[in-house]
Amino acid sequence: MTLKVLLVEDDRELRSMLRDVMTVEGYDVVTAASLAEGLALLQHGGQARSASQAWVDLVVLDLGLPDGDGETLLAHLRRRHGTPVIVISARQSDGQKIRLLDGGADDYLVKPFSAGELLARMRVCLRHRGTHAMPAVTRYESDGLCIDLTAHQVLSGGQPVHLTPTEFKLLARLVRSAGQVVTHRQLLTDVWGSEYAEHTHYLRLYMGQLRAKLEASPAEPHRLLTEPGVGYRLVDPSA
Amino acid sequence: MRGILRYRLMQSSPGTSTKKLRIQRLLLGTGTWALGWVGMHAVDGRFAVANLAMMLVLVSAMATLWLSTRTSMLLSMASVLAFNWTFVPPRQTFHVDVMQDGILLGSMLLVSWLIAILMARQRSATQEAQRHARQAEQLRGLNETLRDGAAPTADMRHVAQALHDLVDAEVVLLVLRGEVPASNDAAQAEWLGMPTADESAGLWHCTRERSAFGPGTGRYESLTSWYLPLRGGTAAYGAAVVRAPGALLADRTALRQAQALCDQYGLALERRAATQAAEQARQLAQIQAVRNAMLAAISHDYRTPLATILGAASSLVEQDAKLDATRRERLARTITEEAEQLARLTDNTLQLARLTTTGVELQMDWESPEELIGALMHRTRRRARGQRIRARVEAGLPLIRCDALLLSQLLDNLVDNALKYSDGSQEVEIVVRHLGGHIVFAVKDRGAGVPMEWRERIFDAFQRGEAVAQGAEGDAPSRRGAGVGLTVCRAIAQAHGGELRYRARPHGGSSFECWLPEAETPRINPACVEANQ
Repeated sequence: MTLKVLLVEDDRELRSMLRDVMTVEGYDVVTAASLAEGLALLQHGGQARSASQAWVDLVVLDLGLPDGDGETLLAHLRRRHGTPVIVISARQSDGQKIRLLDGGADDYLVKPFSAGELLARMRVCLRHRGTHAMPAVTRYESDGLCIDLTAHQVLSGGQPVHLTPTEFKLLARLVRSAGQVVTHRQLLTDVWGSEYAEHTHYLRLYMGQLRAKLEASPAEPHRLLTEPGVGYRLVDPSA
Repeated sequence: MRGILRYRLMQSSPGTSTKKLRIQRLLLGTGTWALGWVGMHAVDGRFAVANLAMMLVLVSAMATLWLSTRTSMLLSMASVLAFNWTFVPPRQTFHVDVMQDGILLGSMLLVSWLIAILMARQRSATQEAQRHARQAEQLRGLNETLRDGAAPTADMRHVAQALHDLVDAEVVLLVLRGEVPASNDAAQAEWLGMPTADESAGLWHCTRERSAFGPGTGRYESLTSWYLPLRGGTAAYGAAVVRAPGALLADRTALRQAQALCDQYGLALERRAATQAAEQARQLAQIQAVRNAMLAAISHDYRTPLATILGAASSLVEQDAKLDATRRERLARTITEEAEQLARLTDNTLQLARLTTTGVELQMDWESPEELIGALMHRTRRRARGQRIRARVEAGLPLIRCDALLLSQLLDNLVDNALKYSDGSQEVEIVVRHLGGHIVFAVKDRGAGVPMEWRERIFDAFQRGEAVAQGAEGDAPSRRGAGVGLTVCRAIAQAHGGELRYRARPHGGSSFECWLPEAETPRINPACVEANQ
């Protein structure tokens, strides 16, 4: 079964180029040029697979739409479905982008971006698709790092790594979204609690400790990647 | 006359001490009279009546120095009558021989009165002169205070205080923020004091009309307060309402002085507006100059990569059949690289425009230098020439307070330049250190360095000069587009309260150093700290 992608982008050239890129990769692409069209397509564009699964497998959503806010579409989608959403933002420092990530969007790209980057993000998102329905990710294996969340065990190059409870919680949160960006706010809220949502310095401290334990060269990390101004990303295990 | 005496400005000392002074003077005056009478009785019989009469005139003149005009005149008259009773024969009668003593007594009375009146005139002239001096001094003092250019609200308080000092009255001020608004919008003005609805309407009216009204002004005489415009040379910049006590409202002199104070403030406001307008014009001219430089640079820095992209892309379209796979791939790579360059140039130009606008809000957060460098390394390694980069981050660096995206842009630009302006075989090194209250990010290359005369100019927008290009060797096309990069870097460093410096390296090459001030890292709640076994 081909995977269906809804692409909401108002610029004609970019839309058709992205459609071509995705089609070549084997996706079935439906495009919308405005928020209204995107919403209409989501509601009536096809037969929903189930109560929790929309007819599309992935939404790629541009933020700079002529007729409204991308948040509207995300909110509509999140009311019923866990369909993954990738946000495309025109500006690096875009508050809306972070709000959408905090509001449940799965990943983001800043224009201009390469086709390869987009496709890689799409693959990660699709792998995570519907995780809330399926058993959660409990195992992560990549490049000599092996994390088993149920056994509470972390091995690096075959050697056990001792982590403090908070370090482990933080790493576990990243494992559950492996390959995807997790915003500062999400990490702080999930690991320390919502009253710590603005305490970025906690995150810096504990991420530093994790890097020291898990990275061969903490100044040049290959596993725990920093997305400046946004959050952290545990490198995609298939990458 | 009595009204004027009530001015606080007029009073050498206010309140109770004035009353004390008045009693003192009354005692001195009456004491003089008493002494005079004692003296006259003492010499009575030894001297002729005419001598006694001269003594009385003398005493009368002396007493006038301390007594008010009316008291002096009354006492003089009483004394002349008593003199007649006591000393003029036939004694113990008011009977006067008109030819003999009538002229004497009449002259005594008239001379005493004349002295009293002259004294009063003199006194009032002195008081008037003193009052003028004080008012001039008040105006000068206010002018001085206003010229110091304190905060506008502080100036308003000074003016209100000056008016209060003048007439001992409550004052409400309205000062326009800008032009006179179309409607009486309270938000368009600064206010001092709480005006009633009527006063508020009056103040707006006064500002628009640019003329005073209220008692003594000839307009709306029935009002109980003065409405005075704050007039500059050409316009009114606001108005004041002075709730002066009833007795003072009719006083023209006080009104004139109050208006003079208001006008002085109006002139100060006009001066300030003129200075602001000049500053705005200067900024506008500067913005225009920057814009012109940008347009010139855009036409050069943008067209060149665009030409490459267009050339490569059109070659792919038009010569497709004639191209082998290697050539095709090379063209596609050229397009990618040039597009990336163009994206960076766009980012820098936009960022510079954003940072040079006042009131930019940075997204400040606590950032780890190690992470910023880690992310930078990750980005750089993915680029074509990014393999020869090394990073050294001192252990145990404190967190820094910065905008992560801006600082990343700064580091990207420095690394980009270092890769561009140094030989492809030489290492580019990034060093982060803790140095005397600063965190220093240094990007070092072994390129040709920057000639002495260019070391400051490279930080000016679009000053990428031939000297730099000539000084360095290698392929010319990759040397484009530094026109705005360093300017943005410096602007970013300065926006963080830091500095971007150039340092020539001892054995050749450049070191660009971003010095950021160290900030006190917030504490971690001890309950959240865990033992690290």
